[in-house]
Amino acid sequence: MFEKTAESVQEESSEAEKLRLFEARIARGEKIEPGDWMPAEYRRQLIRMISQHAHSEIVGMLPEGAWITRAPSLRRKMILLAKVQDEAGHGQYLYHAAETLGISREEMLAALLEGRAKYASVFNYPTLTWADVGVIGYLVDFAAILNQTMLARCSYGPYARAMVRICAEENFHKKQGQDIVIHLASGTSSQKAMVQDSINRWWWPTLMMFGPHDGESPNTPVLVGWGIKTRTNDELRQSFVNQIVPELHSLGLSLPDPSLHYNKATGDWIIGEIDWDEFWRVINGHGPCNQERMEARRRAHEEGAWVREALSAYNG
Amino acid sequence: MAKPDTQLPRFQVFLQEKTGQPHQDVGSVHASDPEMALLNARDVFVRRPECTSLWVVLADAIFSKTAQELEEQELGDKGLGDEGVKEESGEVENYYIFYKPKPTGTQTLVGEVPAAAPVEALRLALERFSGDKPPSAWWILPARRVLVSSPDDIESMFAPAQDKKFRLSTDFHTLTEMRRVKSEFGGQ
Repeated sequence: MFEKTAESVQEESSEAEKLRLFEARIARGEKIEPGDWMPAEYRRQLIRMISQHAHSEIVGMLPEGAWITRAPSLRRKMILLAKVQDEAGHGQYLYHAAETLGISREEMLAALLEGRAKYASVFNYPTLTWADVGVIGYLVDFAAILNQTMLARCSYGPYARAMVRICAEENFHKKQGQDIVIHLASGTSSQKAMVQDSINRWWWPTLMMFGPHDGESPNTPVLVGWGIKTRTNDELRQSFVNQIVPELHSLGLSLPDPSLHYNKATGDWIIGEIDWDEFWRVINGHGPCNQERMEARRRAHEEGAWVREALSAYNG
Repeated sequence: MAKPDTQLPRFQVFLQEKTGQPHQDVGSVHASDPEMALLNARDVFVRRPECTSLWVVLADAIFSKTAQELEEQELGDKGLGDEGVKEESGEVENYYIFYKPKPTGTQTLVGEVPAAAPVEALRLALERFSGDKPPSAWWILPARRVLVSSPDDIESMFAPAQDKKFRLSTDFHTLTEMRRVKSEFGGQ
């Protein structure tokens, strides 16, 4: 009964042929659409990435949302409200992009609330001062833009299109943060001290956002091969460092890395080693705010239960 | 106890940025009915001043074919007309035709045709709108299932975003500011 029938051999060769055509389409720069044939692993990797990305947007509302009531002016409050509202919208775009792959929004949310899903580790750090709102916009959103600009060219159509919309809006996020940082850095001595302290706390968590070194990132080769990612974690991290370090220096700000130096030969700013123990600790649920973030999400979900029930009663 | 299903049906959303431009697919929302879908679509997709009209349609009512599917299947009477479409009136009605002109593009409104069934509308669309290079995917929408925002809605639904210029990155002059600070530091 374990002999291969003619039929199963034919099936296997037709799968191999499908894979060959699929990879040829990606090599030509075509977008894969829902309904097109795709390998099960391509689908699985995309669901993993897009849902993690969606969760990051939703959890990412919490650190900054904490400052809406304490924004220093009405204009800053309106900007911050608009930004946090954008993050909610980005979560929506992404959950819907993932749904085109055959997973439901309910399944994804359940995975997040039950602690089975990951999200960007950077959102597990606390926002202690107003300067943190500026630094998150300037550094964290800029890091996100580099990653998302790459993903806007990704081979899966619905993800790429969601990224195009998101990138356009993220530019506003980065610039409003940069605007806050510039004002504080050219302000009073206590404002300068506040923004320097914030940079000191957010620098390393931002660098960790790009993920493990290429050698430690088991998913990278398959993601690059299928055009989901076109640049590696280390390449993106280096682009970020090269652009942001001179900007921060020109604002009179320093970075909390004694071994940071410029390599004239390559034109790169070279950073010291990242504390990967901290990265894995935070990713695995033991960062400063993991518990607080998950409790806030669960509470929001429970307190919204009556709305969902009312909707389904009305719908039923 | 089984959790209640709060997923709600999925509606596809099409947005027109400026009068005269075609409606384009922007994504989807969940809602209990088309009216709620239109309100949700406004909240999710119109946070910025770039919309004059929104359409929503139940995702299940879209008859969809990719170029790859058309290659693999013959466009006969069987096997195409019955999938993806829950109901057909059997009478001649209007269908909106969307296509993705390039493999990297977005579903874009290209025209409408009268037909008795989605598969017939697709056949007409293939004849009329294929052009030199065949589109990479088609979406066929029965017009009666599409809820269209009314011109009367522009003021209440889309105008508020017009005043929110601070949502645009162009409202922040960070380049000029960076230059100012640099010169103050004396080019350090």
